[in-house]
Parts: sequence; structure tokens; C-alpha cells
Amino acid sequence: MTSEYDGMLKVAEMCILCRCGCCKDECPMYSEILEESISPKGRNQLVHALLTGLLEPDERAVRIAYSCLLCKRDEYSCTAELRNAEATETLREYLLSVGMPLLPEHQLLVKSLENYGNPWQEPRSSRKRWAKGLKDKKVVPGKTETLFYVGCTFSLDRTLLDSPRALAHLLECAGEDFGLLLEDELCCGSTVKRLGHVQLFQKLRRENEQRIRATGVRRIVTACAGCYKTLSQDYKGLSQDVKVLHSTEYLAELVGSGRLTFKGADIKVTYHDPCHLGRHAEVYDAPRTLLHSVSGLELVEMKTSRELARCCGGGAGVKTAYPEISQKAAVRRIREAEKTGASALVTACPFCMQSLKDAAQSVGSSIDVVELCVFLDRYVECPKEDQR
Amino acid sequence: MMPDSVKDEVKRQLVEALGERGLLWEKADLLPYCKDTYRVRFEDEYRYMPDFVVLPETTEEVKKVVSIAASRKIPLIPKGGGSNRTGMLVPTHGGIVVDTIRMNKLIEISVPDLCVTVQPGMTLKDLGDGLAEHGLWLTQEQGSLKMATVGGAISTSAFSRRHQKYGAMADCVMSLEVVLADGSVLRTGPKVLYTSTGYRLHQLFIGAEGTLGIITEATLRVEPLPEAQEVVLGFFDDFWAAIDAAKRVMASGVDFSGGEAYEIVDHSELRAPPDKKALFYALVHGTKEEVQAVSENLRRTIEGSGGILADHEVANQFLTTYTKQWCGARALTGYEDVLTTYVPMEKMRQYYDTLWNEIAPKYGIEPLPGEKYSLDVGKYRMAGGRYRLPKGDRVWERYQEVLKEIAALATGLGGSVQACHGVGIQHRDNMVLEYSDVALEAMRGIKHLLDPDNIMNPGKKIPEKE
Repeated sequence: MTSEYDGMLKVAEMCILCRCGCCKDECPMYSEILEESISPKGRNQLVHALLTGLLEPDERAVRIAYSCLLCKRDEYSCTAELRNAEATETLREYLLSVGMPLLPEHQLLVKSLENYGNPWQEPRSSRKRWAKGLKDKKVVPGKTETLFYVGCTFSLDRTLLDSPRALAHLLECAGEDFGLLLEDELCCGSTVKRLGHVQLFQKLRRENEQRIRATGVRRIVTACAGCYKTLSQDYKGLSQDVKVLHSTEYLAELVGSGRLTFKGADIKVTYHDPCHLGRHAEVYDAPRTLLHSVSGLELVEMKTSRELARCCGGGAGVKTAYPEISQKAAVRRIREAEKTGASALVTACPFCMQSLKDAAQSVGSSIDVVELCVFLDRYVECPKEDQR
Repeated sequence: MMPDSVKDEVKRQLVEALGERGLLWEKADLLPYCKDTYRVRFEDEYRYMPDFVVLPETTEEVKKVVSIAASRKIPLIPKGGGSNRTGMLVPTHGGIVVDTIRMNKLIEISVPDLCVTVQPGMTLKDLGDGLAEHGLWLTQEQGSLKMATVGGAISTSAFSRRHQKYGAMADCVMSLEVVLADGSVLRTGPKVLYTSTGYRLHQLFIGAEGTLGIITEATLRVEPLPEAQEVVLGFFDDFWAAIDAAKRVMASGVDFSGGEAYEIVDHSELRAPPDKKALFYALVHGTKEEVQAVSENLRRTIEGSGGILADHEVANQFLTTYTKQWCGARALTGYEDVLTTYVPMEKMRQYYDTLWNEIAPKYGIEPLPGEKYSLDVGKYRMAGGRYRLPKGDRVWERYQEVLKEIAALATGLGGSVQACHGVGIQHRDNMVLEYSDVALEAMRGIKHLLDPDNIMNPGKKIPEKE
């Protein structure tokens, strides 16, 4: 008899046969906590013990299950090429399905999603806060071709509102038409999907998909790396019918066709690959293409980048449940960025922005942590504005 | 396992010594500490569970843990990166696993004296990164590099791919700090690489597998980062032709760092001629001039031995890929085990012929494709291989019989049961094949002197007296 947990058990069994422990190398959570259970290998042993009846699910098992950033870094060190992140997401689903509660730290996020449609306890109307002056951009069903899907964190975190504004401005400068859902935009469900809360995710997915389909758009451009992964990989039906692009891919296309150009800049920058955009979706080149399109800009890579980039420590509910560990991971990344001698650390994900900015501030780093669209907007050449 | 009433009291004492952060006791946390990469009897996967795991950060904390254990005669299992494959970390007697992984500080570097003092839990990889900032390197390179710790590498007498020029871990150790079984702290000697005074106490703890004490600090010899490095790769008709070339290289006295010979599995990746079934590669490190001269010498010897040289680019790509996959290649995917015996060069052929033509069919073990023969080339000779475990009835028993026969073969030819992975529980009972009664009795005497109550990793390394 097959079950939805067979895949997870298979991963665990394979890991137990190999048990090499290569996954511990560069695992951001294990590096900080240094307990064997907080590593993909340790979690696989936990899965095996739970599914073979050696261990009853308990509070500690839940803690271990949520001590993972789902960053996939270990999968690039894993001998057996095991899909540990997927297995850990399933482990969370399993624990909830057998009646274990979410961590108290995560319950607030879930309640907020149930009440407000976003994890940040903000009223639905706040979603359009960032878009002052863009009210005419409300999507017109049947007419709008490109939907700019902003996401909860970019539209509701007051420290990040410049990012969607910058992206909207870049699109305008390129003469690109786009539409917004504004207050009608709903959370993509990424947060609860990563927490293993399948029921709430499916509810959000259904509602969201219905709203997006009703607009008749042909293309969705997401600003957030998490929304991008979720819409393109976890909305199977929708992503078959509607093209989902991350803003970096879309902007790189516009640069390629000559519609988006930048002034020169004498600056040295480094780029942090967000896990959801990099390892999860394999978008590594588009953000670099964009940075290289600023002439005079020197892009220096950190010691770990692309597939092997260290995680910022901000994903999969870890920042909420384990803020201290999350911050340590982010500080490591800041230190890595500082070693390049770059004056700016650019990234393309709201969670990476939150983590890295907080970390830089906490250690008094002088490196400028900046979101890619905001960075590009500093140098964009805008024909419309020039004419004015 | 200790009774609950004792356990509660020990837990209270350990929390007092280390704080809650330094102690693990819940089953979900203990699971990964119930075994290392050794394949225990299949039905015993979770049989041996420690009572506690402690994660000390200082020598003082280790002392406190040892004192608590000593007062109750509780077994202590010192742990490093946890990649051991002979069962030396399996808590066969329960007790407390002392995970040194949080003792990961670099204490002192001396560039003029070419030495570094570190805590035992620092990984070789992190140590390498730290040394590089000072223009130094450890010189050691092993498959478990990414997770192996200094303490673990010393306690297992770790092998190194670059042993020909730089020696193995045992050759790098200058001085150790060790917490002994009674809680006292031993400094083995001055932090010098050479002295003509005293007994060489630090040597006792190299390869001791945690049976004599817990290493809490190590001073190691390091070297200046080499200016250049090179790999020279040649393809040969078969493994034995590659071995002949390796012998010639060693006889020439050329200063290469180390090398390997083995069978080729994927010809296309290496762009190897299809009729060439084996390869031999040698690593070279040093100044640019040295590397150039040594590499040229190696190329001449390889060609003079009938080998076909690989392109420079192919050889470098080979080394990069091999090194990247090396750590993972250690994994025992499926029901397999590896051979890492020490065999004298002149007996190598006899060893492999007996192994694969007589022992293998007798017990039903089979070599994995491309893993029938391999040799670490250099002064420390390790004959490798990988095989599928027997199938059918009495699997475990036949597996143990295979291990014993291989051990008897290697020692009978004047070699050693293990050149790399230590003894643990896997080879413990076969030590009688390698050491005389007098030698074993001397070892037991040393163990008894340092650990009279046998609390330091009991049941490992030395066979009990019959």
C-alpha cells in the first residue's frame, strides 16, 4: 500500500544506508546549533524512527522538524542526491496530520493568514499602501496581459515598500504595461506551504488561482522569490496556463531587447542568491545579467555563490521560531559579503532583505544591503521622464 | 542503559555543569548518536542508544563531565565529526557521548614556528580556511575532510592523500591536552615537533579511538601554503601496469605528494583511450620550479612505463571532480563495505588474487564495478576496494567471517588489518591476528593505567582477554 509519506521514507532509508554526513557541511542550521539532529541526516533518522514506530511524535520532534531553512544547500553535498528539503516539508505535513500542533511562534502567522490573507497581521487594505499614484494600474480583466504580483512581504513590510515601487518604475521606464491586484491580492500561501499546513495552503491556492484566472492575464511577474517558487512550482494548473516569471527574468528580457537601459556607475557590488530563486528555481544568471548591464559596475562573487551560496537564515519559518540562530546565519553571510570588498550587497528576495539588513545593522556593517530593483532604479535611464 | 533514578540525578549534575544547552537527552535528539557510519548488524540499527549527549565548549566543561562519569563509572564516548566507519562511536554500553563539535576555536597560530593550536572540534576544512589567511596549510587531505574534526582525525590516526610528502595526521601532532578518565588534565609535552626528552605521550593518543582519554586541545605542525600544485595523470592497460608505473615513481625518489592507482569506470569523462583500463595519478606541491621539475619527471616515468598521459586540462578537471565527489564517495550506498588494508608492495598481487579468487567466491562477496583494485601510492600503502556484502542465509555471520579472512590475509602477508579507518568494534577481535599476546597485554596495561574503570569508550579497539 502506498502512502503520501513513501517518498519521505525512501529518502530516510537511503540516507540511513549512506549515512555519510556530507550534508552537515555548510548546512546553515547545523553550523550554528551543532547538534546532529539539526542536520538533514539527523532529520532523516527522525523520519525513519517516526514512520517505523520507534519513536512517537513529540514536541521535540516538532522542534527538530522546524529547525530547517529548506534552503537545499545540503542537496548539493549529498552523495545520494536526496531531496531533503522536500522530505522535510513532508515531515512537517506528517506531524500536523497526526495531531501535533504547530510551534507557538508559527501560530500567529497562521492566524493572521486566516484572518487577513497575509502573515503580517495587516488589514487587507494595507496591501495597496506602497502603490500610491498607481491606482490606475488596477488590473483590467480581459485587457491586462501582465500581472505584477507583489506578494505580502514587499507590500506590507514598511521597510521594503521601495522595492515594488522601484520595480513598477523600471517597468514604466521600459514602456511595459502591467496591472496590479492591489487590495484584492491574496497571499500565495508560501509561508504555510513551507510550514506543512497543507489545508490552509490549498484554501489560499484555490482562492488565489481563481482571482488570477479571472483577470485573464497571460503572464505573472513576481517581485518576491518565495511567491515565484510557489506560483511556478506549487500552482501546477495555473503555471501551465499562465507564464510565471520572477522580476529578474522579466527585467533581463527587457534589457536584452534594449528596452531597459542603465547609466554607468563606478561601484563594486556582490550578489546574494536567494534560496527560493537560486537552488529552488535555478535562476542564477538573470540577476547577474541585470547587474552587468550597469556599465562600470564590478560584480564580485562571495566565497559561496550560485548553487553553493550560503542561506541568509530567513526562510521556512526559522526567523520567526529561532530569531537568534537566524541572525547568526545572516551575520555569517554579511561577513562573507564584506570579505569581497564590495560596497553593496544586492539581493532579490524580501526575506533575504529583512535578514541581511537586520544582521548588517546588528554588527554595525557598513555594507549597503539593497534590493535589486531598488539598486537598478538608481541607475535606470527613463526616456519618459527625460522627455519631461 | 542506566536506571531512571540514576539518570535523573546524572542529568541534574550535567545540566549544572554545562547548562541545558550543552545536554541532549530526548530520544529524538539521541537517535543520530546511536551509530556512526559502521554497518551494525541489520537488526541492531537502534539497539545501542546513549543515555546522554553532552556538547562541551571548554576543557573545564569536559573535566566536569568526566568527573561526573568517573564517580559513577558511566561510559564516555568521545566524538568528533562522526564519520567513523568501524563503529568506534557506537555506544554499545550506553553512557554519555561527548560530542566535541562545539570545541571549535582556533587558539593560536605561530607562523615562524609553523604550528597551530586548536580545540578538537574544529573541522579540518575550517582549520584549512583559518590557516590560509596566514599563508599556511595543514597539508592533510582525506575523504571526510568536510566534516572530520582535528580530534577525530587524531583519534583515528587519519590517512592523508598527500602522505608521501607531508605524512599523515600522526606526523603532524606536536602536543596534546587530554582529559584523562579521572578528570585530570594531561599535557603530553612541550609544543614542539621534536624533542629528545620524555616519553612521547602524545603518540599514545593517536589512533586511540577515545579509549584513553578525551583530547581537548591539539598543537599541530603546519606548512607554508605551496606556491603551485599540479596533478599528473596517466592511463594504463590494466591496474597492474599502473602499479608498475607507481613502483617506478616511488623508486625514483621524486618528491611527489601522493597518488592513487585504480580501474577506470567512465572512459568518456576522462577522455581515456578505450583499451586503457586503469589510471595512476600523482599530486605535486611546492614552488613553481619544483612543481614543474617534479611533474616533468613524473610524466617521463609514466610514459616510460607504457602509460598514456592525460591532457593537462583533463587531469585538472579529473582532480576537481574527484575531490568534489570524494567525500560522498565514502558513503556506503546499499549493502557494501570497503577495504582499506595495508599490504606490502611485493605482496599486492598475491593479496588481490587470494581475495577475489578464493575468499570472495567462498562467502559470496562481489567487487563493485571499477572497485576491485585500488592503491594509495606512497610510503604508507593502502590497498583499497569495495564489495557487496554476502546475500542469503547467515548474512551477518558470513560478513564477519569475510572480515576475519581478509584480516588474516593482510596480516599473513606482513601487512595490517586497517591502514585508514581504525579498529572500533568492526576489527577489534581480529587484532589478535596482528599483535602478539605480549603486545596486546602491554596495550591493556596502558589502558588500565590511564583508565582503570574502563569508562573511556569501552568495548572498542582492544580485544578483551579470553
